[in-house]
Amino acid sequence: MSDAADHQPSRTRVPIPVAALSDPHMGDAARHPKRVENIIAVVFVVAMIFFGLAGAAYWQNWNVWTFGGALGGGLFALGFGLTAWGKYLMPQGPFVEERHVLASAPDERDSMSAALVERTAVVVRRRKVLGGLFAAGAGIFGIVAAFPLIRSLGPVPGDELDVNQWKAGSVLVDSNGRPVRRDTLVIGGIMTVYPRSQMRVEDGQVTFTDQGLATDQTVLVRVSNEPFTTVPGRENWTPDGYVAYSKVCTHLGCPVGLYEQDLELLVCPCHQSMFNVRNGAVPQFGPAPRPLPQLPLGYNDQGYLIATASYDQPLGPGFFERTTT
Amino acid sequence: MRAPLKRKLFRQFLLPAGLLTVAAMASLAVFFPGTGAGASGHADASQVSTNAKAVLKACGSVNTKGVSPIPNTGNPFTSTNLICHSGGLISYGNDSITYANPPASYVAAGRQLFAQTCSSCHGNEANGVGPGGQATIGPNLQGVGAATVDFWVSSGRMPATDVKAVEAERKPSRLTPKQALELAAFVNSLDPAVPAVPYPHLQGANQSVGASLFSLNCAACHTITGAGDALAFGTNAPSLQNRAVTPQQVAEAIRIGPANMPRFSGNLSDAQVRDIVSYVTGRLQHPTNPGGFGLGGVGPVAEGFVALLIGVGGLALVCFWIGERS
Amino acid sequence: MTDTAARTKRSTKQAMGPYGQVGKIIDELDDRLGVAKGGRVFLDKIFPDHWSFMLGEIALYSFVVLIATGIFLSLYFVPSASQVLYHGAYAPLRGQRVSEAYQSTVNISFSVRGGLLIRQMHHWAADIFIGSIIVHMARIFFTGAFRKPRELNWTIGILMLVLAVLEGFIGYSLPDDLISGTGLRIGYSIAESQPFIGSYFVSFFWGGQFPGDGSIIPRFFIIHVLIIPLVLLGLITAHLILLVRQKHTQFAGEGRTEHNVVGSPMFPTFMAKTTGFLFMVTGVTALLGAFAQINPIWQFGSYEPSKISYAVQPDWYMGMLDGALRIMPSWEFTGDGHTVPLEVFLPAVLFPMLLINLWLLYPGLERRFTGDYAMHNLLDRPRDRPKRTAAGVVMFTFMFTLFAASSTDVLANFFHVSLNETLWFFRFAIFVIPAIAGLVTYQLCKEMQGVHGIGKRKRAVIVRRSVEGEYSTVPSAPRLDDERVEIDPEPVPDRIDIEPLENGNERQPEPSPTGMRQVTR
Repeated sequence: MSDAADHQPSRTRVPIPVAALSDPHMGDAARHPKRVENIIAVVFVVAMIFFGLAGAAYWQNWNVWTFGGALGGGLFALGFGLTAWGKYLMPQGPFVEERHVLASAPDERDSMSAALVERTAVVVRRRKVLGGLFAAGAGIFGIVAAFPLIRSLGPVPGDELDVNQWKAGSVLVDSNGRPVRRDTLVIGGIMTVYPRSQMRVEDGQVTFTDQGLATDQTVLVRVSNEPFTTVPGRENWTPDGYVAYSKVCTHLGCPVGLYEQDLELLVCPCHQSMFNVRNGAVPQFGPAPRPLPQLPLGYNDQGYLIATASYDQPLGPGFFERTTT
Repeated sequence: MRAPLKRKLFRQFLLPAGLLTVAAMASLAVFFPGTGAGASGHADASQVSTNAKAVLKACGSVNTKGVSPIPNTGNPFTSTNLICHSGGLISYGNDSITYANPPASYVAAGRQLFAQTCSSCHGNEANGVGPGGQATIGPNLQGVGAATVDFWVSSGRMPATDVKAVEAERKPSRLTPKQALELAAFVNSLDPAVPAVPYPHLQGANQSVGASLFSLNCAACHTITGAGDALAFGTNAPSLQNRAVTPQQVAEAIRIGPANMPRFSGNLSDAQVRDIVSYVTGRLQHPTNPGGFGLGGVGPVAEGFVALLIGVGGLALVCFWIGERS
Repeated sequence: MTDTAARTKRSTKQAMGPYGQVGKIIDELDDRLGVAKGGRVFLDKIFPDHWSFMLGEIALYSFVVLIATGIFLSLYFVPSASQVLYHGAYAPLRGQRVSEAYQSTVNISFSVRGGLLIRQMHHWAADIFIGSIIVHMARIFFTGAFRKPRELNWTIGILMLVLAVLEGFIGYSLPDDLISGTGLRIGYSIAESQPFIGSYFVSFFWGGQFPGDGSIIPRFFIIHVLIIPLVLLGLITAHLILLVRQKHTQFAGEGRTEHNVVGSPMFPTFMAKTTGFLFMVTGVTALLGAFAQINPIWQFGSYEPSKISYAVQPDWYMGMLDGALRIMPSWEFTGDGHTVPLEVFLPAVLFPMLLINLWLLYPGLERRFTGDYAMHNLLDRPRDRPKRTAAGVVMFTFMFTLFAASSTDVLANFFHVSLNETLWFFRFAIFVIPAIAGLVTYQLCKEMQGVHGIGKRKRAVIVRRSVEGEYSTVPSAPRLDDERVEIDPEPVPDRIDIEPLENGNERQPEPSPTGMRQVTR
């Protein structure tokens, strides 16, 4: 038996204020509840049936529509019935509650401030050196703690943002590992190529290194049958009208895989930057800031298309350490 | 309980449906000799699969422009499997796709049809030259190959309704598939060229390979669900979810690169094209959508609208009901 | 001590006191925790009846759904980027090299019974969660509920919105499908665009240059399932504690003052309504999950950096960021051996930060401008504060225009206009539309203030023509519900009878301490 009960040996129901059924704070429906009660009862029964159906649907592994529809219908019906119960059959009010004052009395505030200020003054002001040493210790801990938290997450970026795996002589291969020949594409054709050095065979399938897929990916477009010059200084970069650009957009790094052969435009599918393949992929429209870097092309003695040099600049979107080119 | 139901289903639905399909295919083969069944008939009659150069030589009258003598992975420019008939190249290809030109008997009807429906824009000889010697609105069609003509006509893009439009839009074709082949036969007869009309054989297709190739080569324009979208300067990539798009048209588009679409030749073998075609016409046009309504396959834009309007909006209405005084 | 054997049922009941088992439990609890005093106050806590006060509950309950469905999903999801050959139930993927994260998500959709429903519910609930937060905050903003003393709760709300958006983006990226992988690639480039720290930031977080050493998926996983939910849970708790401590705001009305709250009591009325609402929110999520397919990743394939789909929009709440990136001109700063991609850094890093700070500081800014440092428990009607309302409309139309700009391609396709023209339209619209909307709102508010009885139902007017041909007008008789009884609020009684008395009569109403009167709407 609890202590409270010991102190109050003769507990009876306390006299309490009553809101009667006829009280204006009860809704109309609550005073004549029959109809609403019936509706709510039906809704609850519907919920039960739905839940039963959901159980059967799970047991029999019926499709998502049946299972989810039954589950959702049942949950909605259950909630609807309960809400309607609260809305129609329970006292609606308006009832009132007074707000208590949040603020403390002025002297209470002052005593708090006084305690803070005065005690600090006594403790700290006379021990400045100790305080400084403690702060220095905590600060050094903070700096040291940042190392395992941040520095250990990954490598410090070296020059890998600047380099790619295309070298002079790299053979262009398609996603199936097939090298590209003079007659692989006709005018208006496009394909994605990678340096053959990044090719791997795993599980009997041709695949590429992450570096090859993410950074070295290049679009090869055949614009004409004759070589042409995209930009002065890039003569002989386009044998037989083949031209190759980095597939990594200079805006946000999406693969620029969208080619419109009549317009001779490469379009980035993410933010619609447009690059003309004839003039060195200078952005013609959209948010991309720089042309797509161009890969100089040639043939090797087997007749395969190769890169005659690496890209002359870092690929992809801009970053702080990127030097101007 | 289950077995009889299955049997009943089979008797009442599957059997008649199967019979109907067979009947429909048979009638197709009779009325449209250009379709798959007809082409394989040719293949049985005179299949020559030896040295490409020799066959091409035997088929003397064919224009071999662009046909590579190097045996490759199989595409319309490098096929080794050529069928020649009475001195002309009838069809070539392999297990994946048969390329066949419409029969020569179609040329006369095609000439008449061309004069009626096409010549005002493309010139009487389909060479882009008008009667006064001036350039016509439409381009020169000579040497484009039968597949190109068949694609533009059978997809309803030609004859064009709005010649000033940036791109001709797909619409229900005014001409029948046979008439499209007749036009193709006529235009091809003026300056024979490849590719001929492709007939993909979808039975052995690998949809998984098709899906992977689709996401590498096609999704950049047509979107990954094939919904299509607007591209640069008023051009657009048409929807591939449209079930009116036939396997033949998909194969044609890949090989000929209509309008702004790139032309896929040596980088996609016939087997790969067949896989893509099978994925497009099998999956994209008939998505299973196990999770409910597909919302048009346009992704988060449609999903956001549903979440905000039906989800938040509907629940706000519920709030309104709860808060309203009875 | 009484003899235990002599205890009868009756004596036990008597020993329990007048309130039986419940009373006994309360006794025991109160001995240890002292719950009765505060508990009674809590039962009497008053919730305003206005419907707009329920909007925050949509957010709260969709968060409950997110936790529940998220626990289910975490049992099956494999947070790993290592590549495997897919041999699952979905035929068009068989034989493809996919990441384990992707494979497990496809397996949840096809091989785990009920998994697809739960996955779709989770995603729909996330969309609804953020949507309802924004709608809830709009209500708070336009009615001035953020004013003193509730600035702290406004701050918590903004923080939760930001965290929820971040949580949504990270969760969206976890399946490692083609669409979300592209989103992640964009996220990488955005983070990389920060001056000084950008390349270090991405290299640390991704474990190297994109796509990194495969640690991004497990890291995102732990952030998504533990860290952010934990912080959100803490903030929600703080949000609700503050709400209880400071009590609700309310609209002005009969008997409503700065010093009271009028509405329905916590127990039983509000308890029933809100529990029912929890079920209904769950139900709507389940129905959406059952009938509307969301994020069908099996169609997209596993992410591979050189694959891409057109029309890759992020989920709708990231749309504003995407729209800002699209319409930004290509201003890259180069010089001094360094590059600052302003075309990325400004719209995607600096702009959202400024915006969030503006939202956080708004209560303080408004106080500064209006000089109103007073406590406010009564809400404003938006029309009574034209400047604030106009500012809110400017912000919302601005955000909405950015959102629309993220779907330039979809709009261009739908309306058959050029993509380029659509983009140029938005470059101007982003300034013009909010300006026009703000001015119109301001003027509308001013006009509404000047019109008497606006928003009230119009009384019909009967036009009569006399036999002489003279026209005259008289107001029609009031309709039935034009007039209603407005009851004065009274404190919550302990007992609320909902049963008729045993003798069949209704209990006689006790005279209301404050009385009631007839009012006209």
